[in-house]
Amino acid sequence: MNNTKLTVSHAPFWHDGDSLFKKNLNFILALLPAAIFGILQFGAPALGVLALSLSSAMLWEQIINMISKKPSTIGDLDSALIGLLFGMMLPAVIPWWVVVVGTFVAVFMGKMIFGGTGANPFNPALLGMAVLMLAWNMFFDFNTAYVNYEFSFTALAPLAAVKFQGAATELFPLNDLFMGKEVGAIGATFSLGLIIGGIYLILRGYIRWELSVSFIAGILVTAFLFYMASPQKYAGPWFHLFSGYTMLGAFFLITESASSPVQRIPMFIYGFLAGFMIILMRNIGTYADGTILAILLVNVVNPLLDNIRPTALGKDMSNA
Amino acid sequence: MIKRSFFALSKPGLTCDLLEPDPEAPQKIDVPALLTLLLPEPLDGSRDVLIQKGDPVKKGQKLQLYEDSIDYAVSPVSGTIKSIDTFTADDFSGLRTRIAIEKDTQATDQIEYPEMKHELSFAARHLNHLPGAPPFARLARTEVPVNSLIIMVSDTDLLTTTSQYMGTVHAATLQKGVQILKQITKVPKIYLVLPDRLQDRVRFDSMTLLPARLEYPETLPAMIMKNHLDKILPAGKTPEEMGICYIRAEAVVSLARAFETNAPVFEKCITLIDKTGTRHRVEAVIGTPLGQIFSQLGIQINELDRVVIGGPMQGFATFTPHHPVTPDMDTILVQDRKTITPLSDNNCVNCGKCIQVCPADIPVNLLVRFLQAAQYEAAADKCDLESCIDCGLCAYVCTAHIALSQYIRLGKHELQKLRTDV
Repeated sequence: MNNTKLTVSHAPFWHDGDSLFKKNLNFILALLPAAIFGILQFGAPALGVLALSLSSAMLWEQIINMISKKPSTIGDLDSALIGLLFGMMLPAVIPWWVVVVGTFVAVFMGKMIFGGTGANPFNPALLGMAVLMLAWNMFFDFNTAYVNYEFSFTALAPLAAVKFQGAATELFPLNDLFMGKEVGAIGATFSLGLIIGGIYLILRGYIRWELSVSFIAGILVTAFLFYMASPQKYAGPWFHLFSGYTMLGAFFLITESASSPVQRIPMFIYGFLAGFMIILMRNIGTYADGTILAILLVNVVNPLLDNIRPTALGKDMSNA
Repeated sequence: MIKRSFFALSKPGLTCDLLEPDPEAPQKIDVPALLTLLLPEPLDGSRDVLIQKGDPVKKGQKLQLYEDSIDYAVSPVSGTIKSIDTFTADDFSGLRTRIAIEKDTQATDQIEYPEMKHELSFAARHLNHLPGAPPFARLARTEVPVNSLIIMVSDTDLLTTTSQYMGTVHAATLQKGVQILKQITKVPKIYLVLPDRLQDRVRFDSMTLLPARLEYPETLPAMIMKNHLDKILPAGKTPEEMGICYIRAEAVVSLARAFETNAPVFEKCITLIDKTGTRHRVEAVIGTPLGQIFSQLGIQINELDRVVIGGPMQGFATFTPHHPVTPDMDTILVQDRKTITPLSDNNCVNCGKCIQVCPADIPVNLLVRFLQAAQYEAAADKCDLESCIDCGLCAYVCTAHIALSQYIRLGKHELQKLRTDV
């Protein structure tokens, strides 16, 4: 025992056993129902897009780590999650190079240049999507993307159809939207699967219910106000809730931890603001689905919102 | 180790351990041939030291470095001083002096101890070394009059039951000690913190009881002040600066014993948790190297294991199994190298778990960003660095495995240095 070298570190000497790896793994698990549904619905091309997206995102992180001479960090699965989320937001038939460019933007510009995992001010997957949508908008027209598919339901992207073609929302029964019988991105159509995954993450404590609930409230309240103002012109709140990226946004995009607040009141404001912005963009903006840009926009507000917080112990001098 | 529960909607429930019914008496550890005493005062190379290597010492002899020293140790054995050198116990507590004493097995004589007096100055000069570390020297020096003494029959950290054991098993001695304490300190209010689940096991007459819940961190001094005395500890202040002084049950029991026998007390009660999580209660003489306790209990310490002095949330890891037993050492925790969770240099991922558990409502997620950038003053001004009560819960739950407590401790340390420089 004379010269035994002991491990020395600072308190605490216990840990609850959680880690980034477990957190991201649980996210990926929670995304699987919707992802598998997307593969079943859109076939092998969907699988190809998801696989390429996930692997290229991890590869980009590894390459950037090697160039910047940093230890490899892909083991925490953060890039894998970004890749999977990114792939799930794409249509199944998209050229491979768009996917690779998109994951580069997501991982490099969205995350690595800010300092890696946790340092991103924006949701990386959304940043990748936003750049692609601005640069190559034609690939994100879900109506032309699935022209060679035969569906048993209305083969029109609900949001775009209602907004630009003046289609009646009756073409899209809520039940169909909820069960994924709609044209859209690989992983965003199956609302039920996304809700199950989201509730799983809430119960496990990996995402905060405050964000999801206030986001959904923001969507419903704003859409309801528009609908009440002009039922002929605007779609109803439930239609908005189960179409486009809304459900993916409610449980997986708005809840991305690094770019969202952590205090309760800021979380409510943040979620509601995102939902509010989405409906504004959908109803009076130029895009059919504003989810991506709206969440990126509220990402900017995050640092300000977290200043609304309780007074720390011993700081309130009137009681001292 | 308590792992995260599968469903994690609520805070992690860390509960301090309750003393078992019919607690066993502590196992006595043999007095070793070589003892080590630690003095908080560092050696000053420019001054002559009163004690020298080779000096004979008697049992009960007071050892201090200089004439005007406030800190002292009392030798628990008769023998010879083998060495005096500098020792770093913990990163932030600074340098200490280590005095090694070789026990003389033949000598039985002990020093004539002065008559006990019910005076604070006497207690500060002669009783400050007692097991349980009574804060007499601090009380004698303090500029703020102490108006409340709080006797802790509950343990502050997890796993340990030392204070509960000393307070309940020796309740009668404790009560005598409280009377002596009253006469010495003349503090008007004396409270006794007792875990609420122990209240039907032990009776304390004529004392104000504060029932403490065992949920961590309810047992920490700042939380007791907040919950029971309705006093909020201002950021950056210590309870002493607010006129409140905490004292361990063991210190009060030792005080009563010292007055009873008119001789110093050296036997320290320690809760030891071994690698399997089994709890041992031992009684060791102050100055005993931890290695002696481990070998007597048959605990094998291997390379890269961790020996923690103090509990799992607030203790400190020692670098050597030769670290001696000190008067304030309530707990020893031995961890196998395989069970040690590695730390990382990840960024904060803003998951918010620390915010949910922080008892002081500190924005830990923002604070750590300032601390990682060494912006200590900004951390104190904007992110309430000084409100931290060092409970360690934020680092316990941190998903990114950031050494949050260490950053905070370093931040407070650096901030104090910056302020003294000004």
